[in-house]
Amino acid sequence: MIRALEGYWADEGCVLMQPYHTELAAGTMNPATFLRCLGPDPWKTAYVEPSIRPQDGRYGENPYRFQQFFQFQVILKPAPEDVLDRYFASLEVLGIDLQRHDIRLVEDDWEQPTLGAWGLGWEVWCDGMEITQWTYFQQLGGFDVELVPAEMTYGLERLAMFLQGKRTAFELEWVPGVTWGEVYRESERQWSAYNFELAPVEVLTARFGEHEEECRLLLERGLPLPAYDQVLKCSHTFNLLDARGAISATERATYIRRVRALARDVAKRYLEANGDAAG
Amino acid sequence: MATLLVEIGCEELPAGACREAAEQLPALVERELGVEAGQVLVTPRRIAVLVEEVDERTPDEWVKGPPEELAEKAAVGFAKKHGVTVEDLVSREGFLGVERPGRPLAEVLPERLDSIVRGLSFSKSMRWDESGIRFARPVRWTLAMIDSETVVGGSSFGHRFTAGPVQIPHAGEYVERLRAAGVEPDAEERRRQILAGLDAVGSWSDPAHVLEEVVYLVESVTVLEGTFDERFLQLPERVVVTAMQSHQRYFPLGGNRFAFVANGGDPDTVRAGNEGVLEGRLDDASFTFERDVRLGIDRLAERLGAITFFAGAGSLADKTERVRELVGKLGGGEATLEAARLAKGDQASELVREFPDLEGHIGAEYARLAGYPEAVCAAIDEQYLPDSAGGPLPQTEAGKVLAAADKLDTLTVSFSLGHKPTGSRDPYGLRRAAIGLCRLAVEGGLTVPRVLMPDEVREFTEERLEGLVDVPVEYVRAARASAAGDLGGVARLAEALYAERDTPEFEAVFTAYDRANRLAGREADQAAPELDRSLLGEDAERAVAEALASVSTDGDVRTVLESGATLAPVMERFFDEVLVMDEDPAVRANRLRLLLDVRDTLGRLGDFSQIPR
Repeated sequence: MIRALEGYWADEGCVLMQPYHTELAAGTMNPATFLRCLGPDPWKTAYVEPSIRPQDGRYGENPYRFQQFFQFQVILKPAPEDVLDRYFASLEVLGIDLQRHDIRLVEDDWEQPTLGAWGLGWEVWCDGMEITQWTYFQQLGGFDVELVPAEMTYGLERLAMFLQGKRTAFELEWVPGVTWGEVYRESERQWSAYNFELAPVEVLTARFGEHEEECRLLLERGLPLPAYDQVLKCSHTFNLLDARGAISATERATYIRRVRALARDVAKRYLEANGDAAG
Repeated sequence: MATLLVEIGCEELPAGACREAAEQLPALVERELGVEAGQVLVTPRRIAVLVEEVDERTPDEWVKGPPEELAEKAAVGFAKKHGVTVEDLVSREGFLGVERPGRPLAEVLPERLDSIVRGLSFSKSMRWDESGIRFARPVRWTLAMIDSETVVGGSSFGHRFTAGPVQIPHAGEYVERLRAAGVEPDAEERRRQILAGLDAVGSWSDPAHVLEEVVYLVESVTVLEGTFDERFLQLPERVVVTAMQSHQRYFPLGGNRFAFVANGGDPDTVRAGNEGVLEGRLDDASFTFERDVRLGIDRLAERLGAITFFAGAGSLADKTERVRELVGKLGGGEATLEAARLAKGDQASELVREFPDLEGHIGAEYARLAGYPEAVCAAIDEQYLPDSAGGPLPQTEAGKVLAAADKLDTLTVSFSLGHKPTGSRDPYGLRRAAIGLCRLAVEGGLTVPRVLMPDEVREFTEERLEGLVDVPVEYVRAARASAAGDLGGVARLAEALYAERDTPEFEAVFTAYDRANRLAGREADQAAPELDRSLLGEDAERAVAEALASVSTDGDVRTVLESGATLAPVMERFFDEVLVMDEDPAVRANRLRLLLDVRDTLGRLGDFSQIPR
């Protein structure tokens, strides 16, 4: 499935990237999306991203909730006029017969407050199952995008469940004879224990501040790319603290504001270095 | 005369945007094309207007310019502005103007269509290319036709997956050509088909009102029926219904059956897919539900100490303690106290995190499963009611008391922390809480003692009464200043005063109050602290003191008014015979006190100075 999507989108001229090397809650946060979608330069990319969401783990007990799942992310910047047709063609490549199934685009506007980002789009339904998040970015890091990118985020587990006719992700066949559950269930159990019970709150709280400071230092040195990694680490640290139940509702807003401020400054720096800073 | 078709083709529009377009289109078409929009046809992929009997020329226009007497000064500039010479100007009714002959409709259509696209405004809009146009979703084609002449664009498009471009030979054939291409362009017709389809499969319901959205989620209507495994019926029914409606836009048919509307596809395939999705969601909810139930509502309630109510307001355990205390003060019994103890328990549950709208209800279900009496469970269920301006009130006494205690606590804590609503900002929902509290008192008949509210909270809450009690606000304001002991009493008093406003007794009391207040109110700081009977030198003032002593302010408004009215004749005599502002300061102070006592005694019925006469 991944190979089919990679093949299709490579033929469409996308740069195939690899997953990023630090924890991301979504493929959108990968600099290949967040930073590259800023500024005036066209960009097309496709990549798999393991999405790490500590709060969503259920110890591998609930076959619908995981602290890690896979997204397939596609960016077309600017969005071509027939972008939807190209996306639907990718579903056909996966073996989905568009006439036999009920494919629907249901309003779903996207907002990521920690990144100062939003866009309008849909969730794509296939017979009622959400298989893709589809977004036209409007703002990233608080800046209007110059060329409006289309972002397509395929939920790989759900798509695979749909294609294989399996009811849960655990039953998915990874390769013949090996299921998704065999590969990831134990890791779900152990990571859930870490995320919910053992992640050291004081260390993480301090670490958040360190990452924040490092980000600022790197920005002063005019290095938005490594500075952005520190934003990602802040964001993940915040998610871990949240999973540990260590953040009250008001603190939450403060943390989100702090990450957003960093993301905005990184975006600003990036734009200064890569074309004009509009917005 | 011709038939005109204008179509704006889009990527899938949200239902809200479809409705906004349908509302704005008639006025826009009238403005841009000077014709009345005949038929407005909106689907998720198109916004279209069909007009029959259109003039093929736009009407002649005459653009009004300067008055003739100013021609020397202004004519040249005006003519230049409109690209004509002064000789071309035509005067009518004393004004110079430019004649603008009508133009062929075909000539103006492209620019007018563009103005229509730009003229539609959506509550949420986006950019998608370098044109900079904002629309709810990208516009991908436009088509304008006059009879069989295509003026803008080339073709229309049929159903996204079963039909491609559709040639429209004549504007008048638009609807039938689209129908042949798998699109029902008329929203009303789609609604009719959906309703007919739903009626055919059984007795459907739509508590979350998804029908309006579903009409704009499809271009072609197929109503299908599905079922799910009966083991999911163990879940609270509203959890099942919410999973169906808010996530999937299905219509519950009762039991394990549901209906939904598809936009196409092979019915068996689509049905099987949707059944699988719903079962997945319900399976997921079951995992969560079973984990919660294993813990039970009591253990969940014990975990509330770890959940913050909001910053500065302590934990939900602290809130629970405060609410229990208020329940006692509101006269709640054992069942209500027990309900209060468990009320927030579901906030510690996983299921409420998934279904936040079902807070309270889920707690009630868990309490039922733990074997608590129905009175306790019902009160937990009803604790957030009324949750909207016209929403239903709790039906049980325990529910009313718990709901009032919850709101009182939220208001008291929020105000003590300085979180007052400002303008339209009310993040803690305090207006809703205050209105709810008033309705519980006024409509629910619950006695809410005013002393339970700190001053600021009482002010804020009682201001809400002004909009709830159906009498002029002055009467509510008057009653708010009365000695009424509870919130409902204030409302009843306002109504009673209003009902009595034309009676002689009301008039008598009003006059006595008014005169006493006018004369003594401003001099209150000079009044004696207490009446000294020995200083009452004149018969007339002694008569007032005696009459006042026999005035009773207990009982209903009528009785009090009758009693208070006895003051009228003695007051009249007092004002005729007695000079209040006596030279002797002690006598003066004593007389002022006497008048203030009259005012304050009658004032137990309300502040009559609020009522205009």
